[in-house]
Amino acid sequence: MPLFLFLNVGDDLSEYYVCTGCALLCDDIEVETEDNKLTRVHAACLKGVARMKACSDPMECRVDGEKADIDSAIAKAAAILKNAKNPLIFGHGNSSSQAQKVAIGLARKTGAYIDDTSSFCQGPIVEAIVQDEFKTCTLDDIRHKADVIIFWGADPSNSHPRHLSRYSYFPRGKERQRGWEEDRTAISIDVRKSDTASICKDHRFYQIPMGEDAQFMEALLSALSGKVPKTSFDFDKKRILELANVLKKAKFGVICVGLGLVYSLEELEPLFKLMEKLNEVSNFHIMPMVGQYNMRGFNQNLFAETGYINRLKFNAETGETEHGAKYSVVEALRNRSVDAALVIGSDPLSSLPLSVARYLAEIPLITIDPCQSLTATRSTVTIPCALGGVESGGTAVRMDGVEIELKKIVETDNLSDEEILTRITEAI
Amino acid sequence: MGFGQFLAAPEIKLKISTYRDVFQNTAQESSRFGEEYEDLSAIIKLDPKDISKLSIKEGDTVIVKNAFGKVVVVARRSEYEEGHPGIAYMVNSPWSNALVPEETGGTGVPKFKNFEVTAQGAKSEKVTGIKEIF
Repeated sequence: MPLFLFLNVGDDLSEYYVCTGCALLCDDIEVETEDNKLTRVHAACLKGVARMKACSDPMECRVDGEKADIDSAIAKAAAILKNAKNPLIFGHGNSSSQAQKVAIGLARKTGAYIDDTSSFCQGPIVEAIVQDEFKTCTLDDIRHKADVIIFWGADPSNSHPRHLSRYSYFPRGKERQRGWEEDRTAISIDVRKSDTASICKDHRFYQIPMGEDAQFMEALLSALSGKVPKTSFDFDKKRILELANVLKKAKFGVICVGLGLVYSLEELEPLFKLMEKLNEVSNFHIMPMVGQYNMRGFNQNLFAETGYINRLKFNAETGETEHGAKYSVVEALRNRSVDAALVIGSDPLSSLPLSVARYLAEIPLITIDPCQSLTATRSTVTIPCALGGVESGGTAVRMDGVEIELKKIVETDNLSDEEILTRITEAI
Repeated sequence: MGFGQFLAAPEIKLKISTYRDVFQNTAQESSRFGEEYEDLSAIIKLDPKDISKLSIKEGDTVIVKNAFGKVVVVARRSEYEEGHPGIAYMVNSPWSNALVPEETGGTGVPKFKNFEVTAQGAKSEKVTGIKEIF
């Protein structure tokens, strides 16, 4: 009998699950479980394994600091939102699309501000993509076709660890059978030599000063137009011209836009201009390096309902919306224009500037999350929820806009965030 | 006791850029209140020249502050080959966010990756704990 029959490879590992560690939503994850806990997670990255195995300090159900049952916590949360004139509903990036739609309905009902993390990260890029202002593609297109991949202000080796191995650099694809060795050119444009920059061969790391991305873009645009590329920081002209040549020859190019680039650009115009030129001389696509697993889902779901991806305020009576920077989570907190907040699957006290987030501790605050967080420690009400993609299912939208189904793997006593939000809505 | 203790520790101005670190992010997934998360978060990566200017050794604590906040973190030598005096790196965390300016120029987007601080040796003052940041 051939040897492989004895190996039993894959006998217990036949079902694949989705990792919710980031917006790559890797769908090739195998798990082993015991007593409704994941004991082993196969194929995921370090961060994904930690996410799926769940945190070591789950959040408790509390009202005013005291342990509470779920019914009284939901009643209290409903009362807070009902009594508030201008509540804020924030988070959403770590929720299923189904939970997000309930949250949008709750915001409409309570006349709330609604915003998510995209408001201070990938928002402008995702907005331009959903409005068809950038040519984009799927991660699968990148795996099968991409030959020139620019990581601009992006360091997926740390932020999206399997981006390079599943899609953008290492794999063999249908039209890229020789993978990274011969078929793909990786380019890093960044202010520091990131881990991703160090895999870019042949000096394809372009280090630029902080805040000068727009100027480098302008220089690259000149080079692509056959002009001499000039920068105030005297970047080697030959290197820019040579880079322009590589980009011109690309059959299927991608710019993976990281936060470094998003934060550096005061407006998207330089990137629009560069993309326009690149698509005159070559074939280039934009990929937003979205962090939270369903941030893009929230942006698309809100866009479908209101025509905006984030930064909204509903009018409770008319259902009309107001939109703009004034309604962003940062400005709403800075200007103290909200008087209560519901935070779902996010920790703004950790992720926002402290001087902005501090105000959250002064108003009635509700947190829904599987894990204890800084925001939870300052909340009036904390309601633990099931961990998305592990203890509850639904759908989510990957960074490239592809919808992915999340399956429930193990049981939990916690309600899903969708169920909690539905019950709060019903109680109002 | 040496004479040095009576001298003010030198203070330098730095520009900070924040970054992501998969190991720190993994620790955060396990517990935001764990020792590992603090060890991997409460750090500042400095150019060797700036370490000298501060008269500290790698591993010493430094006070990093500006008009928006103040934290005590551990000084690490950055591993980049190219020098970057005057620029330091902090991993995105509640420690860096304590220093990110609240001003956005009306855009709603704070300058997470480009802000100024001053740094000064902390003379063995302890690292700011996550619950003390607030």
